[in-house]
Amino acid sequence: MKKMDIKIHVNGDWYELAVNSGDRLVDVLRDQLDLTGTKEGCGEGECGACTVNLDGKAVLSCLILAVQVDGCTILTIEGLQRGSELHPLQKAFTSESAIQCGYCTPGMIMSANALIYNEPEPDEDTIRKNLSNNLCRCTGYDRPVKAVLKAAKDMKGDTNV
Amino acid sequence: MKKGKLRVNERRKTMSVYFQIEEYHRPRDLAQAVDILSGFGNRARVIAGGTDILPRRAGVKKIDNINHLVDISRLGLDYLKREGDHIFMGAGTTINTIGASPLFLSGPYGALSDAAGAHSTSTIRNRATVGGNLCNASPCADLALPLLVLDAILVAAGPEGKRHIPIENFFKGVNYTALNNEEVLVEIRIPLCSEKTGSSFLKLRRHQTAIDMAVVNVATSLNCRENRCEAAGIALGSVAPVPFRAKKAESMLAGAKLSKGIIEKAAVAAAGEARPIDDVRSTSAYRKKMIAVLVRRSLESSMRRCGQ
Ligand SMILES: Cc1cc2nc3c(=O)[nH]c(=O)nc-3n(C[C@H](O)[C@H](O)[C@H](O)COP(=O)(O)OP(=O)(O)OC[C@H]3O[C@@H](n4cnc5c(N)ncnc54)[C@H](O)[C@@H]3O)c2cc1C
Ligand code: FES
Ligand code: FES
Repeated sequence: MKKMDIKIHVNGDWYELAVNSGDRLVDVLRDQLDLTGTKEGCGEGECGACTVNLDGKAVLSCLILAVQVDGCTILTIEGLQRGSELHPLQKAFTSESAIQCGYCTPGMIMSANALIYNEPEPDEDTIRKNLSNNLCRCTGYDRPVKAVLKAAKDMKGDTNV
Repeated sequence: MKKGKLRVNERRKTMSVYFQIEEYHRPRDLAQAVDILSGFGNRARVIAGGTDILPRRAGVKKIDNINHLVDISRLGLDYLKREGDHIFMGAGTTINTIGASPLFLSGPYGALSDAAGAHSTSTIRNRATVGGNLCNASPCADLALPLLVLDAILVAAGPEGKRHIPIENFFKGVNYTALNNEEVLVEIRIPLCSEKTGSSFLKLRRHQTAIDMAVVNVATSLNCRENRCEAAGIALGSVAPVPFRAKKAESMLAGAKLSKGIIEKAAVAAAGEARPIDDVRSTSAYRKKMIAVLVRRSLESSMRRCGQ
């Protein structure tokens, strides 16, 4: 199997990596870069646990090969935090008790982050539709929806992807 | 170039490789893509968004037996433009780009934005392409139906140059198209319709708000002048090995004065042309019933969109 050298911009830094053609982005993030905040649930595109932001858009890292994103910019849950302070979305998810086991949370937050980046003042309906990208088996959706509404208000268009 | 420190991370010894692919190719242009495909024969496959070939199906990794992947996502095939008497759509255009385009908001092309909105989730639609949707040739491919009623022409590039394939001759069987292995679908051309045309797409899922392929999906188009139908298109999905046009039902509408009764009759006739199967999503009998309902509703909606 042929190795390839790729360069990707992850959470503010460039990484030069030797990857195999058959490596998925989710595996490279978790196992090569130690960014284990991104979760794998189904591995088939159904659950959204592996959602990251790729060039400003929410995508599923289980359905992307690492070689496909050579030269691209990726943001994971670890890159959201601003200095020592949590990101408004992270704060809102905790203050609104929108997290139970937390397995779906990084995916939900990254999905919401791309939404707010592309649409700074989403209404409740838009947020609900957006969060339907992510399966949550314990908290449900009401609290996450409230958390995203609150975060969008707190952010006032100050977004990062 | 984005700012940031440069880091090098070694691969962890215990990290296993997910897919057994020999080599990933990123051709610099279309000619090179065709060359690579020709060189490796059926051991090579095009990858666009990857949302069909990367997910496992029933535990099986589909691409493990493909040795060479040819990435066409950086060949400039992502475009939408209206020029002369066609709309030109690059095969690499993502479903979200189609869904957001003002080109498809108006009456004649409304079915395309309906279908783009009903396809999967926004996270998948950010990667999934229209070309991949057609070339995967699933019986329930959502974008196939509006493109069928819009009489799209598909442009394929191969070693001998380009050729045009009317979409009606494109689908040959489940996951099987008119393309040869060394060909790349490059463009979809939609002939401009008269402003008196309306089209719409409807999709029934097991759960209407969940991500799911269709139980049945349909697209229709109507060209009418003062309630008289000049031409009609009805395309059915998920009820035969390939998405197809229900010609008998269409011919009942062409030339007729549009009424509730004739629309109902055509919808029932369309259901008669369907050959559905029982599977995990539905039974054949239910699919037949639902085809009649969806075709009726879609025709009514296309009629409202005429002249919009
Ligand atoms: C969770 C999930 C939900 C989904 N929901 C839907 C849905 O609701 N409706 C629906 O229709 N589909 C759905 N799909 C299927 C898939 O997302 C679509 O068919 C998508 O449009 C495929 O595009 P792609 O670019 O990702 O294709 P790829 O996976 O890159 O390619 C698909 C096939 O087409 C070939 N190919 C791609 N582009 C070309 C080209 N230009 N020339 C020649 N061959 C080419 C590839 O070799 C491959 O065989 C879903 C998939 C997942 C994982
Ligand atoms: S792990 Fe990627 S969608 Fe479930
Ligand atoms: S909090 Fe457990 S899955 Fe969502």
